[in-house]
Amino acid sequence: MKTEMDFEDLMDEAYGLPNGTAKLGMLEEAARVADVHGMEEEAYEARSEIVETATFCGYPMKALIAFSWQLGKFDQQPEQYDEETLMWSYKWILGELSSFPEVSRDKMMELLEDFGRRFKSFGYSERSYWYYRFRISMDLGDLEEAGNSYTKFRSMDRDFMSDCEACEQDEIMRYWILVGDDEKVLEAAKPILKGRMSCAEIPHLTLSEILMPLYRLGKMDEADKHQAKGYRMIKGHNDFVQSFAEQLDYLVRTNPAKGIDVLEESLVLAMDHEDPFAKMMFYARAAQLLRRWADESPGYRLRLPASFPYEGDPGDLRKLAEYFAAHAKASAEKYDQRNGNHHVSSMLSEV
Amino acid sequence: MTASNEYRFQVNLSGMIQILSNHLYSSPKVFLRELMQNATDAITARTEAEPGFQGEVRVELTGTGEHRTMMVEDNGIGLTEADIHEFLAMIGQSSKRGQQALLDGETSFIGRFGIGLLSCFMVSHEIVMLTQSAKGGPSMEWRGKPDGTYTIRQLDTQLSPGTKVYLRSTPDAAHYFETEYVNEALFYYGALLPYPVTLHSDGVQHIVNSQSPTWLMEPELARGRRAEVLAFGERLLGEKFQDYIPLTTASGRTGGIAYVLPHAVNLNAKRSHRVYLKRMLISEKAENILPDWAFFVKCLIWTDELQPTASREHFYENEKLEEVRSELGDALRQGLADMAESQPERLQKLIRLHALSMKALAVQDQEFYAMIHRWLPFESTRGHRELGELMDEGETLYFTTSVDEYRQIHHVASAQSMLVINGGYIYDSDLMAMLPLAVQHVKTERLQPDEVSMSFTDVPPSERNQYYDALRLADSALQRFRCRAEVKGFKPADLPVLFTLSQESSTLRALEKASEESTELFSSVLGSLSSGISSAGYSTLYLNINNPIIQRVLTSPDAQMTPIAMEMLYVNALMMGHYAMNRQELEVLNQGIVRFIDWGLRANMDRKGDA
Repeated sequence: MKTEMDFEDLMDEAYGLPNGTAKLGMLEEAARVADVHGMEEEAYEARSEIVETATFCGYPMKALIAFSWQLGKFDQQPEQYDEETLMWSYKWILGELSSFPEVSRDKMMELLEDFGRRFKSFGYSERSYWYYRFRISMDLGDLEEAGNSYTKFRSMDRDFMSDCEACEQDEIMRYWILVGDDEKVLEAAKPILKGRMSCAEIPHLTLSEILMPLYRLGKMDEADKHQAKGYRMIKGHNDFVQSFAEQLDYLVRTNPAKGIDVLEESLVLAMDHEDPFAKMMFYARAAQLLRRWADESPGYRLRLPASFPYEGDPGDLRKLAEYFAAHAKASAEKYDQRNGNHHVSSMLSEV
Repeated sequence: MTASNEYRFQVNLSGMIQILSNHLYSSPKVFLRELMQNATDAITARTEAEPGFQGEVRVELTGTGEHRTMMVEDNGIGLTEADIHEFLAMIGQSSKRGQQALLDGETSFIGRFGIGLLSCFMVSHEIVMLTQSAKGGPSMEWRGKPDGTYTIRQLDTQLSPGTKVYLRSTPDAAHYFETEYVNEALFYYGALLPYPVTLHSDGVQHIVNSQSPTWLMEPELARGRRAEVLAFGERLLGEKFQDYIPLTTASGRTGGIAYVLPHAVNLNAKRSHRVYLKRMLISEKAENILPDWAFFVKCLIWTDELQPTASREHFYENEKLEEVRSELGDALRQGLADMAESQPERLQKLIRLHALSMKALAVQDQEFYAMIHRWLPFESTRGHRELGELMDEGETLYFTTSVDEYRQIHHVASAQSMLVINGGYIYDSDLMAMLPLAVQHVKTERLQPDEVSMSFTDVPPSERNQYYDALRLADSALQRFRCRAEVKGFKPADLPVLFTLSQESSTLRALEKASEESTELFSSVLGSLSSGISSAGYSTLYLNINNPIIQRVLTSPDAQMTPIAMEMLYVNALMMGHYAMNRQELEVLNQGIVRFIDWGLRANMDRKGDA
């Protein structure tokens, strides 16, 4: 019996699988086989796939590790590998970087500069640098710097290395959410909601982000429509844990029963999530929802995943809410320390 | 009285045709579908007005080579002069509202009629339409060109109610006008129509859809017509099927036949079900009409309750579609359940061919899992076997959750004839975890590599004490690899050591490996990340007390020799486990080998010196 599949078999098998944990497992195995046999180009190829798959299945740490390896190899032999693919994935890495509170502010800025320098050296538009500066500043809660970068990147030319318009538009929307200007949020969301802009992850993300702004403006009917459609698009996908959190945030206020459905269906994805920020947001909203549900439906027992590390009684919703809240607050603390402000904990003020 | 007026569309018609051909329709060949659809709509409208009315469609082909003419005629409701002006106005409006309006689709009958007609410009430089409304009024002729000019006139003669459309093929589109092609296309589009579609060509005429089977509308009847159903499927879907499952929804407004694909399919393969809406083919590649797990079938579906998109090639993703999809899924599942009940060998054949799909379904549905679990294949330390056979061994089924873990323990487990299942492939570990819930009297247990020790024999503390010094030397030598040593007894005796890795230490290993290869900046980022990973990231090196070499190493601790021996055993274990080594580990290997050669030679020299 063959216990070892060879590199080609593994890659073939991986290419045949839909994006997900199983595919990632195959790719990691392929990378390992390539490493053991000293097949550098194959190892690089496998890691390219790992970066992409991990990025879009909610494994930012795995993506970062594989990318770091690639970048080192690329610097040793730049003529051997395709810089466009690599630089494109650099953007994904920057987009996820802030989720790891262990990475300091200075390091993030250093990476941003490294990214900018490399983009310049390949002759790409500086727009990408400023756009990512805009995003990272938002992540760090540095809204003034974000505003400056926003003006800056919009004045520059797009090129083939720019993010697609739908993704940019979604980030602009996020900016207005952080600034707290709901009217502007709606204005920015319009081209996406009208279906004029879309891509692999838009409008999926947008439909959840827009819920609270609509709620605050009293546009419940529209919000309900987007909630239902948005949830249909992301249900069961590991990549959208933060969107589930946004859905819960809205449903706590408008339809806690539906909120409980979303919570029970998505908790298994959130609990093992590799992105601590998404997990924090989800746990925070879960805590809020459970408190509300404890008032509305006393005695309800929450269906927890079999492997959920909670020893208490799932029927004691208040205690369970405490558990979620404690986890979220501990995470928020770490982010606040790294960011040097209260940007993250203020998002959880109601928890 | 003859009135003929030359008009020009107040629209950019060529731009519109561009949009249609580039964005709306997948290929020029859909013009025929659009004409058929128009004819069908017209007949439906007339049937509503005159119950019992018998519709028919005639298609005539004349001419040769690149100058073929096609005439498509129906005896439907026809258009009045006002109708013609209305559809022209519709075209005008949607062109002014731009591409999106076109793509969003018109919902009125007349609007769709007009847009459908425009698709003919993809294959013909002129469209001539003669029509007589069943509501009376004069017969009308409309002639249009792609440059936007057209004429409308009343005819002197009175035609019988219905519509005729004439097209002349452009050189590029000639093959769409060939008899054989048209014959097949008409069959595809109209196989289910409840009235005859006749093709006249080269002096021959025959009814294209004469064999539209009754069981299509009542799928339950299909059970007893095996040969006929399979032959029909082959003609329509182009595959030699060997099995099928009839489908119906509760409302009876959607139904069909799910043909089991005769070959295994890739999970990512595009689904291509063929769907008829109100008996007209709407899509040859509907992906969203069945649940994702149904990739082992290709279906013929008919429905009258779903809303087509503007291109008429797909359905809008809405609540209704979701409902239909889950009901069709239930029907398919029920079909498999019946098969398990009455013809298990048929099901077994199906499962062997489509194991992955079956597993996907089993994960979602415990009852289904219970029904088919015995035939699902798994990789185990007893080879590739079906679950039923493995269960018959009557032991606890241990399973891993990753290929990596399986690899680490499989040779030890095999040596001890422990039954371990590789749960690292898609769905497998979920299925193993669910098995006791779905099936009675079976135990499964997740095995972590650092638990393989369960089947190890423990070394009693008194005995362990003898090795105290050697183990301390071992631990301090392995410290820098974040590994610790443990003494156990296990089989096979000729395996001196075994290396196991926990999830965290696995991440750390990957992190360090990348760190070594990466740029300075990224290495420092990875460094800060590794500090966040819990200190549980220690791996374990099990020393096999049954192994003579290990015995000697443990009983004669030596401050110089023992650490080196341990390091060598450690890298040896990595090699056995097929781990990629980092720089530090490779160095140990190289130096160690050189040292041992050196010692061996020196010992030889010493002995010669004594002689």
